[in-house]
Amino acid sequence: MRIIKQAVAGTLESSDLLVKVEPNDSVLDIVVRSEVIKQFGKQIRRVVAETLARMDVDQGTVVIEDKGALDYAIRARVQAAVLRGSGSDELNWGQMS
Amino acid sequence: MDREFQFSVVDPNESATELVAVRALLAANQLEFDTFNQVWALCHLHGRLVACAGLDHNVIKCVAVAKEVRGESLSLRLGSEVTALAARRGYFHLFLYSPPHNRELFRGWGFYPLIEVPDLVLLMENSPVAIERYRDLLRHQKRPGARIGCIVLNANPFTLGHRCLVETAAAGCDWLHVFVVREDASEFSYGDRFSLVAEGVKDIANLTLHEGSDYIISRATFPGYFLKDKGTTDRSWAAIDLLLFREYIAPALGITHRYVGTEPFDPVTNNYNADMKYWLDKAVSTAERITVVEVPRESVNGAPISASRVRKLLAHADFEAISHLVPKTTLEFLKRGYSAVGVAQA
Repeated sequence: MRIIKQAVAGTLESSDLLVKVEPNDSVLDIVVRSEVIKQFGKQIRRVVAETLARMDVDQGTVVIEDKGALDYAIRARVQAAVLRGSGSDELNWGQMS
Repeated sequence: MDREFQFSVVDPNESATELVAVRALLAANQLEFDTFNQVWALCHLHGRLVACAGLDHNVIKCVAVAKEVRGESLSLRLGSEVTALAARRGYFHLFLYSPPHNRELFRGWGFYPLIEVPDLVLLMENSPVAIERYRDLLRHQKRPGARIGCIVLNANPFTLGHRCLVETAAAGCDWLHVFVVREDASEFSYGDRFSLVAEGVKDIANLTLHEGSDYIISRATFPGYFLKDKGTTDRSWAAIDLLLFREYIAPALGITHRYVGTEPFDPVTNNYNADMKYWLDKAVSTAERITVVEVPRESVNGAPISASRVRKLLAHADFEAISHLVPKTTLEFLKRGYSAVGVAQA
């Protein structure tokens, strides 16, 4: 999938996260900010990177404001933001699990 | 208890009664009501207003939460609401004005500090990396030299006065960076203004023409600038724009001098020039000082050339008079635009 426009998904509330995506022609730029970055920063980055890889996203800027979300919430929010940013409403769910 | 909070979105033109409560809540928090907010996100508890946030295009202002509901994570919900509201309106890169002491609160909203005018106001943006990404783009366009100049033009439209300013600055500098204000709040569109500047300066060899951005005389950095035809100004806004220039943009390009035309007619620009000398050169800052060079406005028939004069003449389709004030490229554009589209609503 290709991120062709800016999009946002999620909230700032506790145990959730806000995901912002925007087009970027050269690289895949993932920025993670989290209240639990010291304990779980690596894990959050890995979940985000895996989710993007499953969606075949290899370009774009993805900014995460994490409020201590669990992995499945992170996956769902990243998927929603990418879907909105790709301008498409079709997703191959089989690829996502 | 959580579900008792009722969020709503309110258009200030349609909800005069709601705004009475908003004004009261802001006053209780030592905040001024801003009439330029296009829309408000409000939160009620048992029918009483307990939180509000205003949105003016991509800028969030006037955020207040009533004392008695603080500590219930209401602020974060308000932040989510206003972020989603902005997204629905097509704005993703957001700016926020706050009193400096609320910095931590808005860090929780995913906003990061850009510029602070001590004890007065703090400008934040909703990205930890956007300003640095922008500075990286600028750094690629850095040029060597001891004296590097910069001009920021609105060029509404590009006149011989602008041309003279650019020529003078280019002659006095090793390299000159020219920015065209991007905000589409002027009579002529950004695209038109940019092409006329590009045409008008293309023979100058030691010059880079830059696209404007949210970080340079934009609605986010300097809301008052775009209200000048309405006679409204707030000088404290200029500090934000100028400090942003001094601390972020100038170092990325190695700018040492900022050039500006003197402005006998326009009080907003006039104040801006005075503020420029203060914030770029005098004020205490971690960034290097930038020398402000004022270039006297070029005159024709005893009257200084200004874009506002051109717009007035355009309203009367006085192309003979205009032809003395603008380069040929601008004149041709005005004739085309005027007859075809009727642009002249100056």
